[in-house]
Amino acid sequence: MIRTSVTSSNVASVGYDYESSTLEIEFNNGSVYQYFDVNERVYEELLAASSVGGYLASNIKGIYRYSKV
Amino acid sequence: MPNKETYLGDVQDVNGTTVSITLSKQSLTGFVYINGQGYRVGQIGSFIRIPVGFNDLFGIISQVGASAIPKNQVDNDTSGNRWMTIQLIGEGQRNGTFQRGLSQYPTIGDEVHLVSENELKNIYGQPDKPYFVKVGHISNADSIPALIDINKLVTRHSAVVGTTGSGKSTTVSSIINALSDNNKYPSARIIMLDLHGEYGNALKNKANIYKINADKSPSSIEKDLYIPFWALNFDELCEISFGDFNNEKDKNIILERVQKLKNNTLIKYPKKGASIDTLSVDSPIPFDIHNLWHELFIETFGTYYKKNAGKPIDNLAYERDDSNVEMKGDPKKGIPPVFRNVKDDKDDNEKINYLPGSLNIGKQLTLLGSKLRIPRYDFIFKPNDWSVENDGKIKSDLDTLLKDWIGSDKPVTILDLSGVPPDILQTTIGALLRILYEALFWARNLSQGGRHRPLLIVMEEAHIYLNDDQKGMASTVVKRIVKEGRKYGIGAMIVSQRPSEINSTILSQCGTFFALRLTNSTDRSHITSALSDNLDGLTGMLPILRTGEAIILGEAVKLPMRTFIEPPPKNARPDSQDPIVFDEVGVEESQNPGGWGISMEINPNYEELIETWRSQNPKIDKIK
Repeated sequence: MIRTSVTSSNVASVGYDYESSTLEIEFNNGSVYQYFDVNERVYEELLAASSVGGYLASNIKGIYRYSKV
Repeated sequence: MPNKETYLGDVQDVNGTTVSITLSKQSLTGFVYINGQGYRVGQIGSFIRIPVGFNDLFGIISQVGASAIPKNQVDNDTSGNRWMTIQLIGEGQRNGTFQRGLSQYPTIGDEVHLVSENELKNIYGQPDKPYFVKVGHISNADSIPALIDINKLVTRHSAVVGTTGSGKSTTVSSIINALSDNNKYPSARIIMLDLHGEYGNALKNKANIYKINADKSPSSIEKDLYIPFWALNFDELCEISFGDFNNEKDKNIILERVQKLKNNTLIKYPKKGASIDTLSVDSPIPFDIHNLWHELFIETFGTYYKKNAGKPIDNLAYERDDSNVEMKGDPKKGIPPVFRNVKDDKDDNEKINYLPGSLNIGKQLTLLGSKLRIPRYDFIFKPNDWSVENDGKIKSDLDTLLKDWIGSDKPVTILDLSGVPPDILQTTIGALLRILYEALFWARNLSQGGRHRPLLIVMEEAHIYLNDDQKGMASTVVKRIVKEGRKYGIGAMIVSQRPSEINSTILSQCGTFFALRLTNSTDRSHITSALSDNLDGLTGMLPILRTGEAIILGEAVKLPMRTFIEPPPKNARPDSQDPIVFDEVGVEESQNPGGWGISMEINPNYEELIETWRSQNPKIDKIK
């Protein structure tokens, strides 16, 4: 999956697969996670958010299931 | 000449390498400045220097205070509690070169001095020599690199020990990272036995990873691990396939049959180096174990029509299935034949009897049969390219297997053994190590042999398979490696959190120790007794070491050193970090998606959880 770099205190880059609705997050420490069944809209909002870390904390963490890659 | 700043006291008693000294009244302060650097006097584990003529003797402080008074001095002691015990370790010339061992002893009245950072640098540091690798820095002196002599590290074996969570895996990956530096050591050759699949991620750029049921997705670099059954020696083969035998006779029958099959293979497909005269049952020559099993099964359980003409074996009484086909079984699939029951009725002319001279190895054959059927054992019995056809034909020989393992372009090979069934883990590791050992031992004169391109074998979680409890194959081979491997370029690095469970012969042959925090006193005493130096003072520090801090001592280092191991870069650390229960930083800053501090997802998916368990692969199918 191709990820776009973002500026954030904890997230390094973000990617999305439209086919499987999978959101991929790379944290600044190099670990990569995939969130499953994430709406396309959420991905776009995440990219556009003024604080990526904040949006991730309030709208993704604790809501979608994920796996470390 | 005496340097008053560094002066500590005088030698009072010399007993072997143990020296008792009294502190002088002048160095009362306990804190001295030398060249602007502050030093605490009398820290256990710190170094002292005793100038003797043109040389300096070096020692480590192992005891301070009242208990350091020599026994016969207790009554008439005049200097109070101001005693120290020193363990002598080596000698330095005035020009700074340092070596282990002593050519002379100090004597009464010799001055004892503190060792300053500059002097320490002379002893420890030779960073320009390419055969030294840096694994971190000396604990109380950040500017001094902790250097390890790889010549001694590899061939004289080493052990990394520490309580879980003390930084063992990080230490190992740091060392491996340093050793696999492609610019410095373009031909480095390291093989790692990884029992829990921890290192794959950490070393993925430098390593080939072999795993049972490898992840085949395009992003993964894992390859399938195979250990062909015919490469095992007879004992290993029995252990893995047949289990125990009731008596020697049964074992001999199998031995003869295996030998004969190997013989037949060799006649049909001659192999260079092997000849009929020298062939033994242990020779790595392919044979068809499936057919052997099928034949033995018939000879053990078979029944035959007694009245028919010809040999009993040609008149086997197979049971018929629903479509009236004889159930002869399928050797390749491990399906046994089914025979009719014995029949000897008076009026019935059809008599069925057991085969004459039938074998008594039913239990062993049933066991092997089930292993031939269960896919978990396929890495041994159906090793893909190394599978054997009826007549002994193989697609690839052992050379390609070894080339994959130790002859590839990458310096490190990780053998991920997380998928090996626990009942055969010991034997599998034993077999694997023996294959490597024999190959490198016999090839010792060749450029790819052990003497010319030494191999370092890293054994993770060694207490699982190198214990004394069982007479394990792994212990036997590793004992051989640690005793004789030095000569043939095969070095072992034993990694364990429970050194007291490791066979003491193996531990005592390790020349270099990386001792991380060890709290358990049994483990500690095991390490202390395995050390060649008389360094109680240093090993006494083991329970209070910080995470990531190690005492390195032995052959690969000039002096025992308390070291801060430099962790590898964040994306190259092993997957053994402690899970975060509650992240120290807030959820918006956290680089952790989970933990107890974040609310749980609404529809937790336990199907995927079971999927990983069933597939024995932590990666679910959904991940592309």
